[in-house]
Amino acid sequence: MDTGVRDAFYNMALDEALVTARARGLVANTVRFFRWGPSAVSIGYFQSMEEEVDTAACDERGVDYVRRVTGGGAVYHDTEGELTYSLMIGEDHRLVSRDIQGTYRTLCSALVHGLGLLGIPAEFKPINDIVVGGRKISGNAQTRRMGVVHQHGTVLREVDPALMFRLLRVPSEKVRDKLIQAVEERVTSINRYSAREVSLEELKAALKQGFDEAFHVRLIPGEPTEFEKSLAARLKAEKYATGEWNLRR
Amino acid sequence: MGKAVYKVEGGKMIRVQLTERGGRIQEVKITGDFFLHPEELIEDLEEALVGQPLRESDLVDSIRRLVEERGATLLGASPRDFARCVLMAGGSGGVG
Repeated sequence: MDTGVRDAFYNMALDEALVTARARGLVANTVRFFRWGPSAVSIGYFQSMEEEVDTAACDERGVDYVRRVTGGGAVYHDTEGELTYSLMIGEDHRLVSRDIQGTYRTLCSALVHGLGLLGIPAEFKPINDIVVGGRKISGNAQTRRMGVVHQHGTVLREVDPALMFRLLRVPSEKVRDKLIQAVEERVTSINRYSAREVSLEELKAALKQGFDEAFHVRLIPGEPTEFEKSLAARLKAEKYATGEWNLRR
Repeated sequence: MGKAVYKVEGGKMIRVQLTERGGRIQEVKITGDFFLHPEELIEDLEEALVGQPLRESDLVDSIRRLVEERGATLLGASPRDFARCVLMAGGSGGVG
């Protein structure tokens, strides 16, 4: 399914609602594509919002910030600059093993294949990255709850490290430029690598085909169910949009 | 209160905030971009460290024991990395 451009809190709430629906056997395994509007920063489950994010700078620019249920690092989700996916898949599925690192590799192989269809020779890099020519183009994070593997990740279409480090905390102004330069060197994007504009639609179509071909499945277009939508609305209000959740660590 | 940041070689970043009293942990918070499954274990882990002496071997043992007992998985950091960062926040390389 493609749930389009939604705010950070709804996006994370809908992911949890899809996991819950899958766990209760109400829906089949799900692949979801989505974007973030307003642009937003998400932080990993174990991160401190205060330490990682310059919330004042975010507020000034109208950028949301939210805590994920998954570990990993802080990510800037630009509305136009990236496409996010999530997948919810029963732990008993043939693609899933008890080995978390191995399951990352398997699930990321669909994205690697999809990027290959765009002429981007990407490869999985443990723990949770996809790289091209040694540069990161996608970050992924996984958790397991209620017998369901939930993995989400982002594929960079464009990248703006200077903006990213306006929104994330840096130890000092002096270090900021070094960090920006390091990201310039270590991160790439679809547009930069391909030296052309790849539209979000084209990227999504390639990733969808990547899932179909790598997993030998056929993704069926769908919408969130009424159960998923109403649970997502509740989870947004009661969890993801609250300071209690976002500032808890 | 002590603070430390520790970058795991080839892995993730760990940050620790710690209050100690008489060489033992009074309060500790471990944050960072590592992965721990199940995630909620982090709070139990922080609790398990309270009262522990700031000694690498003891810290490694209690972290490792908890992770094993719960069938948990740590990715991007090891119990030893956690212990080292805790010791750094405690303001020393530790004793023993």
